Amino acid sequence: MSERIIEFRDALREAMSQEMHRDPRVFLLGEEVAEYDGAYKVSRGMLEEFGPRRVIDTPISESGFAGMAIGAAMLGLRPIVEFMSWSFSLVAADPILNNAPKMLYMSGGQFGCPIVIRGNDGAGGQLGSTHSWCVEGMFSNVPGLKMAIPAFPDDAKGMLATAIRDDDPVFFLESERLLAMKGHVPEGDHYVPFGKAVVRRPGTDVTLFSFGRPVHFCLDAAEELAKEGISCEVIDGRTIRPLDIDTIVESVRKTNACVVVDQSWSFGSPGSEVAAQVHAHCFDDLDNHVMRVHSADVPSPYAANLEQAFLPNARRIAEAVRSALYVA
Amino acid sequence: MSITLTMPRLSDTMEQGTIIRWNVKEGQEVVSGTIVADIETDKATMEMQAYDDGIVAKILVGEGTQVPVGTPIAMIAEEGEDPASIAPSGGEQVDSAAAPAPSAAPAPTPASAAPAPSAAPAPSIPSGGRMKVSPVARRLAEEHAIDLAALSGSGPGGRIIKRDVLSAVETAGENVAGATGDVLPVEIPTTQRIPSQTLVSTTTPIVQHVPALESTEVAVSGMRQTIARRLVESTSTIPHYQVKMRFSMDALMDIRKSLNEKLATEGVKLSVNDFIVRACALSMAEHPMFNASWAGDRILIHGRVNVGVAISLPEERGGGLVVASIRDAHLKSLRMISAETKHLATKARDKGLSTEEMSDSTFTISNLGMFGVDDFTAIINPPNSAILACGAAIEQPVVRDHQLAVGWEMSATLSLDHRVIDGAMAARYLLTLKAMIEEPMRLLA
Amino acid sequence: MSSVTDSAPPAASGGRPLAERTSATPTQLHEWLRQMLLIREFEVRTMQAYQDKKIGGFCHIYIGQEAVAVGCTAAVQHADPVVTAYRDHGHALARGMDPKYCMAEMFGRIGGCAKGKGGSMHMFDKPNNLFGGHGIVGAQTPLGTGLAFAKKYQDEVIDGGVNKHVTLCFLGDGALNQGGFYEAMNLASLFDIPVIFVVENNGYSMGTSIERGTSMSHRIIAKGEGCGLTGYEIEGMDVLTVYEEMKKVADTARAESRPAMVDLRTYRFKGHSMSDPRKYRTRDEEQHWEAGDPITRLRDAMIEGGLIDEEGFKALNKVQKTVVREAINWAEQSPEPDISELYTDVYVEKFGPYTGTSMPQIVTDAEASP
Repeated sequence: MSERIIEFRDALREAMSQEMHRDPRVFLLGEEVAEYDGAYKVSRGMLEEFGPRRVIDTPISESGFAGMAIGAAMLGLRPIVEFMSWSFSLVAADPILNNAPKMLYMSGGQFGCPIVIRGNDGAGGQLGSTHSWCVEGMFSNVPGLKMAIPAFPDDAKGMLATAIRDDDPVFFLESERLLAMKGHVPEGDHYVPFGKAVVRRPGTDVTLFSFGRPVHFCLDAAEELAKEGISCEVIDGRTIRPLDIDTIVESVRKTNACVVVDQSWSFGSPGSEVAAQVHAHCFDDLDNHVMRVHSADVPSPYAANLEQAFLPNARRIAEAVRSALYVA
Repeated sequence: MSITLTMPRLSDTMEQGTIIRWNVKEGQEVVSGTIVADIETDKATMEMQAYDDGIVAKILVGEGTQVPVGTPIAMIAEEGEDPASIAPSGGEQVDSAAAPAPSAAPAPTPASAAPAPSAAPAPSIPSGGRMKVSPVARRLAEEHAIDLAALSGSGPGGRIIKRDVLSAVETAGENVAGATGDVLPVEIPTTQRIPSQTLVSTTTPIVQHVPALESTEVAVSGMRQTIARRLVESTSTIPHYQVKMRFSMDALMDIRKSLNEKLATEGVKLSVNDFIVRACALSMAEHPMFNASWAGDRILIHGRVNVGVAISLPEERGGGLVVASIRDAHLKSLRMISAETKHLATKARDKGLSTEEMSDSTFTISNLGMFGVDDFTAIINPPNSAILACGAAIEQPVVRDHQLAVGWEMSATLSLDHRVIDGAMAARYLLTLKAMIEEPMRLLA
Repeated sequence: MSSVTDSAPPAASGGRPLAERTSATPTQLHEWLRQMLLIREFEVRTMQAYQDKKIGGFCHIYIGQEAVAVGCTAAVQHADPVVTAYRDHGHALARGMDPKYCMAEMFGRIGGCAKGKGGSMHMFDKPNNLFGGHGIVGAQTPLGTGLAFAKKYQDEVIDGGVNKHVTLCFLGDGALNQGGFYEAMNLASLFDIPVIFVVENNGYSMGTSIERGTSMSHRIIAKGEGCGLTGYEIEGMDVLTVYEEMKKVADTARAESRPAMVDLRTYRFKGHSMSDPRKYRTRDEEQHWEAGDPITRLRDAMIEGGLIDEEGFKALNKVQKTVVREAINWAEQSPEPDISELYTDVYVEKFGPYTGTSMPQIVTDAEASP
């Protein structure tokens, strides 16, 4: 087996390159993706590899190029749209929310929209309120789209490759803070199916559910809590739509306690949805209500210490676990 | 085949419409595109066009009438058809006085017996109130036959949690370990479970001896809507208060009787109300504020006295009430007031009053005396600042000159706009009125 | 008096013989007359059905603008994509959608072009390359750029040839003020995308006249020129003019693979939607435009040219009335969608309550017919 170790960003590029070689209908467009190698260097070298007809620099015009890609997808192309940040997707809300996820339904099954929209999501670099959006809370509300949020380099490759091959619109949320993370990534074809959560750390006392970057905070907290004799089972959801509730339920039936960690705001979020579903499926298995750890219910702050306090972190997760287990 | 025109839906939210004007008459020819009527919707007045060619055979709904979308409103005879032979298919002609009764809403299904609560595991309840148990602790206790009432909870507020049950299981296991080496399942006593059937009432239903009342909906006529709007506006914007006074009616009843006898040949029959109208109107000279309107930053005192008289309409004509205006009542004699009131009341009940006949009142009288009501209050008819509610003149025991006697009395209640009229002013007005009513000769002058 | 009225050109043929005025064959002219009569009758009965509550929601009537949809679609090929806004029944019919599918869609029936899931504003027709019917003002403009991009990508990148297609992206003058339209034009120009933005300039965005809502309203093609698009101003009440001029625009866009913007001057005879009392314009103005009815103009030109007589016109019109009556009957008899349809067509694949997708009748019928 290959023990190759590469960065998260290179894993993403590998998925795109691999799929573009496989299928001429796949192309990449976005701001600075070609000549600049991508604002975060995810598409480094792709212009040389595929040329300007398939790796396309767009102007700063999210509504225009997202809408253009959706039109192209209606005709059967398979565009990958890179938003430098999901924070910039808000100016393209009409095409990505009103067109892409509804086209199949409104046309009665005639026109699908096999598009991948990907980019950085979430706070973490003192970018202030406008550039620190976690869009998963807002956008996961919309039926018709799929939402994938990888936490590890091998998933970054396998999930993006799956997203490109998927016939439905996929919102692919990457964390700027994870792009330099290194890990084992299989060479060649690697596909991670959607709707399959994975247990990152087995445990018996409490189920810790998360997705994306906060999975790492959960693993940190589990390490810390193990020293107190608390055994955490950490589940990485990987996709929010579809949501693998079965894996969560199976774990909660065993542990009788559940903490959900989600870096979006708490009100109407994937975290609140998971909590509601756990309450519905596991009511008689719970020893306490499901606890939730979210970003603070305020706009994202700039100051470093405020931003740290704003985000979920291992300390807050550990507190929630102790509270859920009545040991606080 | 004749064509039925129905009330069109002219806006996305329109449920019913009012025909403001018919632009065509029966017998008139129309072609597709002819604007046949102006329809008032919830949003605007819209034009209704014909979609077919033909002759207007029948107009089924009159102007000013509101009907639900889809109601037939006219019939068109197609080429080669005799317009005279066309009859509306189902449904009756609707005139401008009343909207058609909508089909009765389906009666709500009778409430079924309340669902029986599912039997709870029912642990014995501590005297302190409801026992708090986490869901999994409750399940585990049931599985291991642990009596929750015997446990004390270590969770917040004494909640029994998983570890409390598990430690009890452990203890129980130790106690029986010698016997079986395992926890014996113990059945929960069935007496603690309440069979759900027993919660269903077994009382025989009460036999109904009263006619069944039916739940239904009644369409709101334009008039009813106007009444609703104006009276809500009145009670919600005018600071109302009431002042009441009783009047001795002996003299008035005598004089009325004698006048009616003398004038019977002339067809004159004065009502008590006619006297009250004149008395109220004449009192205005001394009390102009009762013939006034609040206008936001000033008070408008009117130069003419137009006394409004509330007239109820018969049920068969859709009910409701209108206020007819007796113009310049202070300049009119009793017999003029009487004749005019009778004329307006008859017209209101038969054909309806014109806008002019209903407008410009400056003071209103509502009289329920003819129904035997002895006392009530009324709501001011904007923009008036007062309304007088009169009860019946009733023959009853009264005190006259320190003696108990039998006499005629009437109670009248003024409702007033406090922005215009204060309490003492109201009292003084009633005293003036009282003087006139109790010395009715003054009303003859 | 607005410039809408000032610029109204309901002129007659100008005295020129029909053969000089158009390159179209008599067969084509008959077909256009048929299509325009069909659209007119379809829309009249749509209004009636809406008022009878057989059609729900918002409904926008195309009467008066028939020459635009008919002339423009005639000027391009069937394989060229067309996308439009919410006043879309005319485009659907001009593109070849069977009126029964169009009517059934508005009736919310399974036989509708989108199984009753789209409604009046969202007409989609894959066999006829109609990519919607879009309800949000201007939303279709970036899509139009994308459709043209995809055709060019297919022709050149995948097939290795040269661009063979042109896309028609219709919009109303109200969409001129949406930001997405500028982004769509800018990208089309930057990337040499052959899309024609056809502004159906009927002078009003809902109740706001173009002068009140749009800068440079006297010369809106300046907006396209600002992005490097060639602009054209075309009189839109005469189908012969629309066809001849649009043919040149489309042929140029296809050959040069460049976008264009067209200001097509037209007028909607009815309100913005079925709830519009049209208080913002005068009856005089309406009558002025009605005098230049595009159907009357084509009829008169064809009578003048000896291609049809009064009787023939009446007969053709009668056929359309029958076709539309049959469409209404068909739509009424089409069943409502089964409740299970609620959960289909959300995702192509199945998960959770969603049960994949199935092609609507319009596609299966079209595929079944030779």
